[in-house]
Amino acid sequence: MSRLMIWLILGVTLTFLIGPFLIVIFAGMSAGEALAFPPQGLSLKWYAKVFTVESFRASFALSMFLAIFGTLAALLIGIPAAYALNRYDIPGAETIRTIVAAPIIVPGIIVGLALLRYFVVPLNVAITVALFVTHTALVLPYAVRVVSSSLNNLRADMEEAAVILGCTRLQAFTKVVLPNIRGGILAAFILGFVTSFNEVPASLFLSGPGVRTLPIDMLSYMEITFDPSVAALSALLAFMSVAIVFIAERLLGFSRYV
Amino acid sequence: MSDAFVSLTDLTLSYGQTVAVPNLNLDIVEGELIALLGPSGCGKTTTMRAIAGLMPPAQGRIVIDGADVTRVPANKRGIGLVFQSYALFPHLSAFENVAFGLRLQKLPQAQIRAKTEAGMATVGLTGFEARKPGEMSGGQQQRLALARSLVMQPKVLLLDEPLSNLDARLRLEMRNELQRVQKETGITMVFVTHDQSEALALADRIVLMKDGKIEQLGTPAELYARPDTAFAADFMGFENIFRVEGDALVSDSGRLPLGYQASAQILAWRPGGVGVGAGPHRGRVIASSFAGGHREYVLDSALGQIKADAPIDVPEVPIGQDVAFDLPQDTARPLAA
Amino acid sequence: MFLSRSEGLALALPAALFTFLVFLVPVGILLSVAFQTDTGAWSLQGYVDFFAQPLNQKVFFRTLKLGILVAGTAAVIGYLAAFCIVNLPATSRGRIFGLVVLPLMISPVARTYAWIVILGRTGIVNDVIVGLGLSSTPIRLLFTETAVFIGLLQLFLPLMIISLVSAMENIPRDVVPAARVLGASWFQVFFRIILPLTKEGLVIGGTLVFTGALTAYITPAILGGSKVLMLETLLYQKVNVSNDFVSASVIAMILIVMCFSANLALKRIASVKR
Repeated sequence: MSRLMIWLILGVTLTFLIGPFLIVIFAGMSAGEALAFPPQGLSLKWYAKVFTVESFRASFALSMFLAIFGTLAALLIGIPAAYALNRYDIPGAETIRTIVAAPIIVPGIIVGLALLRYFVVPLNVAITVALFVTHTALVLPYAVRVVSSSLNNLRADMEEAAVILGCTRLQAFTKVVLPNIRGGILAAFILGFVTSFNEVPASLFLSGPGVRTLPIDMLSYMEITFDPSVAALSALLAFMSVAIVFIAERLLGFSRYV
Repeated sequence: MSDAFVSLTDLTLSYGQTVAVPNLNLDIVEGELIALLGPSGCGKTTTMRAIAGLMPPAQGRIVIDGADVTRVPANKRGIGLVFQSYALFPHLSAFENVAFGLRLQKLPQAQIRAKTEAGMATVGLTGFEARKPGEMSGGQQQRLALARSLVMQPKVLLLDEPLSNLDARLRLEMRNELQRVQKETGITMVFVTHDQSEALALADRIVLMKDGKIEQLGTPAELYARPDTAFAADFMGFENIFRVEGDALVSDSGRLPLGYQASAQILAWRPGGVGVGAGPHRGRVIASSFAGGHREYVLDSALGQIKADAPIDVPEVPIGQDVAFDLPQDTARPLAA
Repeated sequence: MFLSRSEGLALALPAALFTFLVFLVPVGILLSVAFQTDTGAWSLQGYVDFFAQPLNQKVFFRTLKLGILVAGTAAVIGYLAAFCIVNLPATSRGRIFGLVVLPLMISPVARTYAWIVILGRTGIVNDVIVGLGLSSTPIRLLFTETAVFIGLLQLFLPLMIISLVSAMENIPRDVVPAARVLGASWFQVFFRIILPLTKEGLVIGGTLVFTGALTAYITPAILGGSKVLMLETLLYQKVNVSNDFVSASVIAMILIVMCFSANLALKRIASVKR
């Protein structure tokens, strides 16, 4: 295949994948009132407006909270699980693996509905708590997978050497294992953060008065108002995700963990 | 050479801006086994890929058996190529690997079977038909790759470092095997190698290449006895090569008066051509090893290191001692500057 | 490998118990709803009733159709793109691959929203159509199956390309030129060499795209609306509009069964080779 053909095919594919998104960025810069492309005059007023919409501010805070603390919680139980599955010969390891991986396979919307009906309502749990639990469960499989793969690359005899040199098992973990899988943990955190922050289907049913995640809030805003502020917000969020991933890639070669 | 079977005319090959082979001219005679010899990066593999049609030339012509094939795609050239990595198809059985090209020609089933079986028999792989390449040894994979190319009855068979992935014993065996197949089939073969002993042992003619250009072309005997340049001499085992200035040899380390009038600007000696134990020069032994029929010395002299092989009947000189040596006129190979 | 099994279990159990209790138990109860009548007896009546309604049938087959179409189209584009990517020089290969992965990091809401700007009544495509005089009034492009198809394809194509690129990188060196020299056309090279050697990547990518398309909510919600329902949006309607939890449970079961069978098929095909 000639060089020209290669770049032609890649150009068309990338335009299809990324082009629409560039359009959103410009649509958000419209000076007019309605969503259109090309925008009617250029201004940043919609980008500015996003910050003044009260519901966006509240839902952004909630999404941030869920993405950060849901992911941290997932790592808190996920790292020991990944370590145990990698280094110990435990009974039922395969079952444990399957259970932990299940949230990836089960469609999110079903999870949200099930939690609403059989967790939130009967136990009278706050929506925020339910969202936190859901996001933790959804991020957990990624946390376990990414940490496992970086544990896989770490030779087990390093810990044995540490123990022989006088470490306790816990010391061997904190002094030898943790520093060496730091990159993997950070990668897992970023992947979990992005997954949680962008999550929609599972959070769909888990919303109450004034309590909804940002993507859900955007969806309902779009149903009522047809102005460029959602375009502006989409662009801002995308920049945030891309910046996080870009920095992570530069700092630690994020992609080799995912 | 008028009866060229394959001829490369003004062939220029480049990767993007980098010219790998500038303006190469080469004629290959029908039925000969020719070796492209040279260090890695000398353009030998690139040249071979161009003959196969895998590398479009930037300039020049490739004619095979009277037909200009310069613009003919690889799948229509009728050329065989045995890759250095063998490039066997891992998802197909040995039989299907050999039958691959025949099936593409849409030959009748019976004919495919007969030709494939005959091809596998030629390389001694009868009985391995059902194996996958991954289940075969290196030598068997090599034979399989050879059979896969041979059944196509190519006009020219190209081999890229055919023996480099084999251990020493198998290498000798496959050498003989290649020669036998070539004599039996009479096929024109071009093989690429960086190993001069392989080229000397196998080839009818050797094309010694350097930086994309032909450094010297000749029969193994010619190249071995009479390399023309320092590069060729070094490749053919003349390990002691020195410049001549007036009546002395010069190197970066110093100079050594010769005692006779040199016939060229550069002189070269094989280790076997250096006399040890007698002669006008002195050197200190810094390494010595027994090599069966002779003893290999490394001497530290005014010219720096000299490699010298002494016959076994010369008494051994211990490391650290001085010894007399000679760079005789009759074993010196005069080289062009 | 350490020997204390209880220590290992103690480390792994919190994660497993957590997922089991807050995740699998509620989902399990939800799925069981459709198998019970109002009186609590076990029955398949919920499924019979669900499929008796033409709309439900239509949505089911539309979802299946879109899943297959999106996966199939992604495979075709994916092979072309992946082949180009692996043939790039190393430096630009990394950059282009990064651009392919990039959309995965962007919110699906934002990505799908873009198509409103493009396909809407005042969108780019309609501007061009009206501007060229092909139609005097804007054409309805949103809320069509085509719009949903395009949105889903854009959302999941990167997953296919990633799988195929890594599969193609594992094709042994020189195998493709070897087939060429033996007389294979590019067409034959693809079907006899590349396809069989990348089968595993195709199956992985295909499963990811297929299950992704089946279970996507945002795309059919934004680009299909109530005109082009898919199973996910239908489920949402059953719950929020008609309070029909039995149908919701049936849809949930269908989605899970489809996803699990796709995953099982994946494991089958992928492990047969080894």
